[in-house]
Amino acid sequence: MVGLWLNIDYAAFVALFCIGLYVVLAKQNLIKKLLGLNIMETAVFAFIVTSGMVDFGAAPIISDDTTGPFASPLPHALILTGIVVALSITALALGLIVEIYRRCGTIEADELKGVE
Amino acid sequence: MDLWLPLAAGVPLVAGALTPAIARRHPGLARPWALAVTAWVLAATVGLTRRVVLEGPFSYPLGGWARPYGIELRFDEFSAAAVVIALVAGLVLVYSGPYMRVALREARLPWYYSLLLINLGGLIGFVTTGDLFNLFVFMEIVSVSSYALVAVAGGRIAPLAAFKYLIAGAVSSALILFCIGVLHALTGSLNMADIAARLATAEAPAPILLALAGLTAGLMVKSALFPMHAWLPDAHASAPSPVSAILSALVVKVGVFGLLRVYPMFAAAEAVRLAPMYEILAWLGALSIVAGALFALFQQDIKLMLAYSTISNIGYIVLGIGLANERAMTGAGIHIANHAIIKATLFLAAGAIIHQTGRRTLHALRGVGHVMPWTCLALAVGVFSIVGLPPTAGFPGKWYIALGALDAGRPGFAVVLLAGAVLIFVYYIRILNAFYFRSPSEVGMLSAREAPAAMLLPVLVLAVLCLAGGLLGRWPAMLIGPAIARFPGGG
Repeated sequence: MVGLWLNIDYAAFVALFCIGLYVVLAKQNLIKKLLGLNIMETAVFAFIVTSGMVDFGAAPIISDDTTGPFASPLPHALILTGIVVALSITALALGLIVEIYRRCGTIEADELKGVE
Repeated sequence: MDLWLPLAAGVPLVAGALTPAIARRHPGLARPWALAVTAWVLAATVGLTRRVVLEGPFSYPLGGWARPYGIELRFDEFSAAAVVIALVAGLVLVYSGPYMRVALREARLPWYYSLLLINLGGLIGFVTTGDLFNLFVFMEIVSVSSYALVAVAGGRIAPLAAFKYLIAGAVSSALILFCIGVLHALTGSLNMADIAARLATAEAPAPILLALAGLTAGLMVKSALFPMHAWLPDAHASAPSPVSAILSALVVKVGVFGLLRVYPMFAAAEAVRLAPMYEILAWLGALSIVAGALFALFQQDIKLMLAYSTISNIGYIVLGIGLANERAMTGAGIHIANHAIIKATLFLAAGAIIHQTGRRTLHALRGVGHVMPWTCLALAVGVFSIVGLPPTAGFPGKWYIALGALDAGRPGFAVVLLAGAVLIFVYYIRILNAFYFRSPSEVGMLSAREAPAAMLLPVLVLAVLCLAGGLLGRWPAMLIGPAIARFPGGG
């Protein structure tokens, strides 16, 4: 159990991921589904960023008066790319939702079943 | 020559981004521009494949940073799939000219070609990268452009189908990214060969298992394996036909190809064993073969029928991977490429028929074989290929997978495979029966004319390739042989 307590942040992000997944699956409103998706993505980003943390690590900027250990800068770079991907998906999804509303007059998934 | 590898993926991506800018001044240039770029990519991938045949796999370190620090592009025997990708994309571009002029507003045409080029660049990058995060990025380039392509022509249900596709795709992407994060946290590396070496000595079974299971599940959604297939039929059927061809022939393969890339990482890990995962894959593949074929049996809409048959064929490939011996793997590898050609033939031929007649159900299309003989001939060749009759492209892959099932001592899977082929035969014979042997149910049908040359030519070229894929079936098997031998369980 000690191991779990030390990694409480990881456990929190997994919980957040599951909350997002629940929202995506259970909510009928398409905007809410998109919000759930964003929660999932944020959980993943937070998980990867914290995985670069080192206990008592300094920021990875080399100057005369800092000495190691340094936190790993790589996860931050990865997540910048990940955020760009998430942003473009969100933008596209919002565009699609507008288009769906124009054509069908509703953005509730259960009502859209009848429209088809 | 060294630079061709990064350029093969980079050129279409940059060219795709430039397309709208070029088309702003000269709207007519978008399609020739896209065609020229794709022709160059085809030439480059043929050159790269020639090199891999002569010298074996080779790498290119992006930015001069050697692995494991930099991003490594790696071209191995599996990457030769890039030739098929470029070929299908090029033929779809030729076909798109007359088809999209009707299906799309003129102002949207440059954006359509732009998305196609970006999709092509993503696919080429996906099959040539040796870096795990890079794999994810290319996967997302492919996925996001595909979501947009589904909705590009509008229509009543297309935006909704695109949205469903987007949600399924993005959830699986988030899961895959999470697992990449777990692997990076465990090994401190992102290079796939390097991760494989470091996982061999890692002593943390739970996170490794989590990463393996998560990656498998995520890639299964991407490849629309049976229980996770719900997004596929609507997206593939409501997209414009050239887009359906790209999605069904190439984009779903991202999932199965991802499995081929990801599994070797776990091969040497002492903490987990791959055998149970292979077992699950084999069962899901078998289930998918039967379920996809059964769903297809009850469709009236010709494009929905083809979409469900994709699920069935992905099942064949996954079954081949799951059986995990040399011949089954060879069959899976061959079927990845051959199914791409067959499904492109079928979707483009069906698209031409829908385009010329304005009808898409089997009932309304009765007798079309007499008014569009060439298109229907190509469709018939595609039909015989997808069933797997020799000497067509569907045969070698399924034959190898069936032999692999016998090698593995699992004749039950070979029976499922044959049963699937029979089911496929039943529902495709309905198409041929309706097209050739039933009297037309609508008189208006008889005034339809053969498709224009720019649409007919790609369809006929693909049909010839369907025959060539069967007659020259040994070549791809010989090509991917060394890669299969390196694959865990394949040797």
